[in-house]
Amino acid sequence: MQFTQKSREHIESCRFCWMCHHICPIGNATGLERHTARARALGLSLVAREAVEFSEDIVANVYECALCGGCVADCTTGWDPVMFTKEARLGAALDGKLPPYVLKMLANFQETGNVYRLKNENKIPDFADSDTLFFIGEDTRAMGCAKMAVQLLQKAGVDFTVLQDEPSSGYSMSFLIGAAAETKTVMEKCAATLAKYKKVICYDPADAKVMKREYKEWGITLAPEVLTFTELLADLIQSGKLPVRAQDLVFTPQDSPLLARDLEEIEPIRSILSACGEVREMFLHGKETMLAGNLIMHQYMPHVMEKVAENRWLNAKNIDAKIMVTACPAEYVLLSKTRPAGIELMKIEEVILKCL
Amino acid sequence: MTDFLFNVIATELEDAVGKENCSTKTIDKITHSVDYFWLSRMWADRGLRMPEADFVVAPKDAKETSAVLKIANYYKIPVTTWGAGGGSQGGALPVCGGIILDTKRMNKIYDINEEGMYIECGTGSIYKHVEWAANERGYATMHYPSSLTCSTVGGFLAHRGIGVCSTKYGKIDDMVMQMEVVLPNGDIIETSPVPKHAAGPDLNQIFIGSEGTLGVMTKAQMRIYAQPEERRFRGFLFQNMSDAFKAARELLQMFKPSVMRLYDEAETATLIKKIVGVEKPGAFMNLAIEGVSEMVALEEKLLLSTFKKYGAEDLGSEYGEKWWKEKITFFYPGHMMDIPQCYGTMDTIAPYDKIEKIYWAMKEAIETNFPQAQFIAHFSHWYEWGCMIYDRFIVDGKDVPQDPHEAFRLHQEIWNCGVRAALKNGGVVNDHHGVGIKLGRLMKEQYGPAMQVFEGIKKQLDPNGIMNPFKLGL
Repeated sequence: MQFTQKSREHIESCRFCWMCHHICPIGNATGLERHTARARALGLSLVAREAVEFSEDIVANVYECALCGGCVADCTTGWDPVMFTKEARLGAALDGKLPPYVLKMLANFQETGNVYRLKNENKIPDFADSDTLFFIGEDTRAMGCAKMAVQLLQKAGVDFTVLQDEPSSGYSMSFLIGAAAETKTVMEKCAATLAKYKKVICYDPADAKVMKREYKEWGITLAPEVLTFTELLADLIQSGKLPVRAQDLVFTPQDSPLLARDLEEIEPIRSILSACGEVREMFLHGKETMLAGNLIMHQYMPHVMEKVAENRWLNAKNIDAKIMVTACPAEYVLLSKTRPAGIELMKIEEVILKCL
Repeated sequence: MTDFLFNVIATELEDAVGKENCSTKTIDKITHSVDYFWLSRMWADRGLRMPEADFVVAPKDAKETSAVLKIANYYKIPVTTWGAGGGSQGGALPVCGGIILDTKRMNKIYDINEEGMYIECGTGSIYKHVEWAANERGYATMHYPSSLTCSTVGGFLAHRGIGVCSTKYGKIDDMVMQMEVVLPNGDIIETSPVPKHAAGPDLNQIFIGSEGTLGVMTKAQMRIYAQPEERRFRGFLFQNMSDAFKAARELLQMFKPSVMRLYDEAETATLIKKIVGVEKPGAFMNLAIEGVSEMVALEEKLLLSTFKKYGAEDLGSEYGEKWWKEKITFFYPGHMMDIPQCYGTMDTIAPYDKIEKIYWAMKEAIETNFPQAQFIAHFSHWYEWGCMIYDRFIVDGKDVPQDPHEAFRLHQEIWNCGVRAALKNGGVVNDHHGVGIKLGRLMKEQYGPAMQVFEGIKKQLDPNGIMNPFKLGL
């Protein structure tokens, strides 16, 4: 396994640094030492020194990270475990050492267009052509539902279309094998499909993150303007196109790390919820948010992912939250599975529909 | 161990803690083979494998811990308790192989008791998580070491840790109420319901600082405090350390600041200049006073008048506030000493009549015998009777042998030299990092025949000697 000089530098810095030990949602869920950035870095530094093989369990450890960026955000000095973890995934792919569950998801992707091999039973109706595309995303198409989101956009008078055969943004490939040529091909294909639109509204922050950040890093030009769904909704409320009325309700936003950290988008969900009722924050919120679930990881670490979501519910319970609100389809699925009695879970579009 | 017996033990451990919490994987073994101890880091840096455990287990509570210890006792396998691995003395390293017992699954917050002013939690809780739990209710733990985010409650208790506000709030051993402990034979016991009593010796204090050699602490009630109404900082520059000691001693007879840190001229000119921005020569001292505003105002008045008498230059609050903000930054890669340097913190503690003498003796011993080493120090945990020296040696990377065995030898020689200078002048082996494998050999030099008390307790509680062998000099 060969690392780039940049990754090597970060690995060498993180291998003996414990400072972000408390922040990893996976480590906090399992209590296992290997689920820390320093453990991953130590393992990879020994691989780089040829003191250990890039063995099956070290490769598996590279996949036991949600890439949520909690450790990166917490690091005062700017070291980046996500970067070297993704590079190690690419290394595993190039060395032919991908775990069977990753190979299976890649095969699923080739055959069905999504890594889950799931076909959503919800039929997508035909939409008239428009220069604005509502991009639903791989997770929702496989196991979620965007009906309420579509309904809301229609109520707001937004002229948009939805693709029957929507391409993958490249998020899942990037998650699984990092900066591989295959990932770039998927992203380029997506960018080509999207080229005819003026605006793309991403329902899933995972797609927005990839389109807004990773395409640039790859040198892929994306013609349309990309907006997150929450960003758009906040604007629609602000401009009076979604005339919500505040209710006697208390909302607690679950900041998706993709929005709060990767896209630095914290305010829109709050401005929406403030217009609809009172906002009660969890102790860790905004950039310091904790991940509440990742569907790709749920495929191979289901119990751990459910514990991650349960931990987030615990945070909500600690502040006596009444309604937790998310704008992330993956987090919604996992939070739904683990919701305790006494607290409601709502999608952001559901909140607005309730308050119109 | 035969392959057959290995499998017998592995399956018994799996039965005790669950298959997913018992591992013999390489990643788990290497992860638990390197802690914050310089020697383990250097070893790994040279591409060598440290001694590894045969099994890594993570019990969820005292009952599962008990089951593990019973298995270990039956097969006479060493058990090394691991919190989060942030220890600097090699106390959590499985030097004899056997079982690593990782406590982090015991991370439940059982009770935030606002009447009794404590949080009951599993000892595998990262202390920062306990702090978060306290903060959510408007309280604080007041235990703020640089390792707050990377050490467990049990880890701090095991080696008698300390935080930057210790002068007012005390060490970790002052912050614990009751504990649950699993003895080496698997019995689960509870210490006295309160830490102050006349019901015989203090059971808490037998296990606190025992570094996993006498049992496994599994649950603890840790004190919480009201958040201070106000916290004010003040920086001072003394012409020399002697004046600072006199001023601080006088101050501590009147009240206790929370933060009190005095830096020697060398550390003022290096770390403090770099991170806090103090440019002038001298000995920088930073203090925080906190609590009810009216009291804080009075204490600040006393502070200013006392320090003025000893010629301290008042630098205002800016440096102190900056230090508070950056107090953990010092320990991140890029700011902290790191490989390829060879370094160590030889913290010791003594009364005021000895402390300065110890500082100069250690400085001279290190600088004379190891001219390649730089010696810097600060004094940061203060009492009415004395304080602690946080003295560090740093050998530049170019002067550290590449050969790991030679580097090992250099490291040990510097440590022997520095700690012996402290002991000779009335100091102790260590103030708050513990003993571990790093300083075990020096325990007998400090305690002499008193060591038999520890040895007697060890022999009675752990007759098979399975608990963290060769740590603490036991």
